[in-house]
Amino acid sequence: MMNQGQIVTNHGRQLAGRAALLAGCAALVAWAGMPDVAFAQEAAPQAPTAYRDIPYIGSRNLVWIIAQLHLLLAGFVLGVPIFAWLCEIVGWKSGDKRYDKLAKEFTKLLTSSYATTALFGGILLFLLIGFYPKLMAYLTDIFFPSFLVYCGLFLVETATLYLYWYGWDAMAEGSGKKFHIFLGFLLNVFAFFIMIVPNSWATFQSSPVVISEGSDFARAWAATWNPTWWPVNIHRLIANVVLGGYICGAYAGIRYLSAKSQEERYHYDWMGYVGNFIGVFGLLPLPFAGYWLMREIYQYNQQMGITLMGGFLSWLFILQAMLIGVLFLGSNYYFWLGITHRIPGSETQYRKPIMAMLIILLLCLGVWMTPHSLVASLEEAQKMGGTHHPLLGVFGVMSAKMTVSNLMVLVTFMSFIMYWRAGKQDTAGWAKAAKALMGGVLGLAAIAVIVLGVWGYFVPAIIRINYFSTSQVGIVIFVMLTITPLTALLLKSAKTTTEMVWGRMPPRAGYALVLNAVMVILLMTLMGYARSSSRVHWHIYGVMRDSSQYAFSPALGYAAALMALNTFLFCMLVAFIFWVATMGDKAKAAAGTKGSVEPGAIPAMAGGSPALDGPEADASEEKRPV
Amino acid sequence: MGNVIKKMVVGIVLGGILFGATNALGFPFVFQALFFGYAMLGAIVFMILDFPTLKPFGGVKAVGALLVFYAILSVVYIAGASMWPQYDPEDEKGKIEKILKPKREHYEAGKVEVLLQRAKALDEKAKELTARLQALGAAQAPADQKAGGEAAPTATTAASGGDIAKLGEEQWQLQECYNCHKLNGEGGKKRGPELDNIGNLLPAAEIARKILDPKSYKAEGFEQEYEKGKMPDKYKDLMEPKDVEALAVWLAGYKNASVNTPKPIKMK
Repeated sequence: MMNQGQIVTNHGRQLAGRAALLAGCAALVAWAGMPDVAFAQEAAPQAPTAYRDIPYIGSRNLVWIIAQLHLLLAGFVLGVPIFAWLCEIVGWKSGDKRYDKLAKEFTKLLTSSYATTALFGGILLFLLIGFYPKLMAYLTDIFFPSFLVYCGLFLVETATLYLYWYGWDAMAEGSGKKFHIFLGFLLNVFAFFIMIVPNSWATFQSSPVVISEGSDFARAWAATWNPTWWPVNIHRLIANVVLGGYICGAYAGIRYLSAKSQEERYHYDWMGYVGNFIGVFGLLPLPFAGYWLMREIYQYNQQMGITLMGGFLSWLFILQAMLIGVLFLGSNYYFWLGITHRIPGSETQYRKPIMAMLIILLLCLGVWMTPHSLVASLEEAQKMGGTHHPLLGVFGVMSAKMTVSNLMVLVTFMSFIMYWRAGKQDTAGWAKAAKALMGGVLGLAAIAVIVLGVWGYFVPAIIRINYFSTSQVGIVIFVMLTITPLTALLLKSAKTTTEMVWGRMPPRAGYALVLNAVMVILLMTLMGYARSSSRVHWHIYGVMRDSSQYAFSPALGYAAALMALNTFLFCMLVAFIFWVATMGDKAKAAAGTKGSVEPGAIPAMAGGSPALDGPEADASEEKRPV
Repeated sequence: MGNVIKKMVVGIVLGGILFGATNALGFPFVFQALFFGYAMLGAIVFMILDFPTLKPFGGVKAVGALLVFYAILSVVYIAGASMWPQYDPEDEKGKIEKILKPKREHYEAGKVEVLLQRAKALDEKAKELTARLQALGAAQAPADQKAGGEAAPTATTAASGGDIAKLGEEQWQLQECYNCHKLNGEGGKKRGPELDNIGNLLPAAEIARKILDPKSYKAEGFEQEYEKGKMPDKYKDLMEPKDVEALAVWLAGYKNASVNTPKPIKMK
């Protein structure tokens, strides 16, 4: 007599078998015109097939592209509701209709992007079952209970999305709005669970927990709660917010570049600002989440940590440092352009602090991208006296990297504060004391971060990792939590000396927004490659070896080409989704029903002007040299 | 525009100085190039702060400009990643080939019946080995525990040399036991006990038993790890009986009494 576990397992196998049959049919239809497709099972029809391949492109490359696109789309689909929900709340709280309109505009994208994501998920599943039947059977055996949970989550997420989108206008006021915001909250909660369930499958491959005892549910739960599951969940959640923000920024940037009227320029300049702000807002805690993930990887498996940070993948992190550096520079640059161009008369006023911040960022970037051990020839190593350069080696260790990443976060935060305060004059009697306090907090924090960083060289790793690095993060978070409310209080009573004017940014601001989005997407593709390669020749680290011809990790240059291709394909897909979703608006606009941009109140997150933000004011501003 | 040109010149000069200095300090060439590129990146950011406002594009030109922009980014990215020192995938292929060759040979033959027969034979062997281990364990483990691990099992001490020891060490590396166990001062010791004195506490047969069935012994002080099943129950599937035996014999040769290897407590 079979027990419940066996029934579930057998049912899982039957399902996997049916899915494999479906995959086979799909593959037949899709590749009917390809005469060279040959399956490995033809050679040994009776043996169980472990792998199948596809000519020219190869099974691994095809799965790589589809999986990457699915993951990026999923990041977008999960990031946009957070972004939209935050905008809706800001609009509701501030009464600024522009935020509500922006939130609705982006939620509209969800319906089409949701379907596209699911489509790529389906393709990926078919390909995985087709190309890796043995691995998929193993994963199905372990995770079948979570497959059911995943399906259930999809049902409730879809229903909530429909209610959220179609109920927008019906629930625009009063308690209806509150319920709508609650729906947005539910949408994000379900989306979060939709993200963390497949995360467990992926993280299980890197840090598996296999138990042979207990029910199927107990096995699935043990495998789900593996050491890297939560660090990846948190890291991806934050990264999705960043992706959503920067994609919004890039969309606004492109629309700004191609804007024909001042009204459009006004709207998309403002939208670009909001997108960049939310992107930066997410970017600031991201290095900390990444640090936690790497710490867990080291604790789980020292060898895997070494492979990533000191082994053949170490140069990947130099590439990552450059991408993050450019992202920090791009985000700050956009803020600086905003100060220079949106606030008349401030072109020279903020020049010195901008230059100082730029130099600090560049110096920090220089340290961040210094590798721990240099890949050098024997002759070069002899010349240096080892693989650690006597001068540079000191910058290669985690202590230095944690210090500079914290300093970069501090500088970016101060960039935003500077932008926020630009064009305002404090009137509160306690303003002087508050400014002195903020300056003191910032200065002391920077000194403390550096001191802890240097001290970190002279203490055992365990103290550095558990106390010093976490203290550095705590200090930076303390600075943010102190200076943000103090600045908000100061600005409440501040006098506006120079009004912020939207729509005056130079075209390169649009390119900066596109650059930021491309950097984030490239970073996500790079980290996907890192996660996969860190398992080296294992499908499931230490449990199931990859015995296919593609078991080896591709070289960085080759991988970079595929990452660039995936980024391009993803951008094209997103552009298509935007185009499809806005088709109706264009038709309406052409029919003369185009809605005007609301000249709203002061944007909640930065200085704006109810008087000058409107199109009427822009008309007079158009005469100014830009 | 004058400012832009000035900054460009400063950037190139600074890059040149960094290139020369790193050359003089004996940095590898890739680093000299990296320093130059880094100076240029800084110069570009400074330059574009002062760059005159370009005339906005529209329609096809705007799309074209964006595509060119992306193409430039991609080329820089791919070229940068390709110029970085690359690891050679052939190295990993070689390692994989070494591990998988014997297994592939079986699969590639495609002789299902032969494979089934072999699996049956292996299963019988495993059963026989387990029975032998159990018999040995029952006889030796209590005696060892009684003696506080001081009495070394004579049957296993001599086996620290020769091919079997070499194979045992290979298995230690291949199965990556060092991730959880410290030995010879190397490896982790958070999830599993340090093993330098294991030879004084357990005979080879019991070590093998622990490898095949992680629940058979619990290390003193590692109760939580034991309960959580931190030691993977996978080696009976992953390793050949002779590999388990070799690893156990090799480990049993470690009798460094100055290391505080936790006492194993028999659970099954």
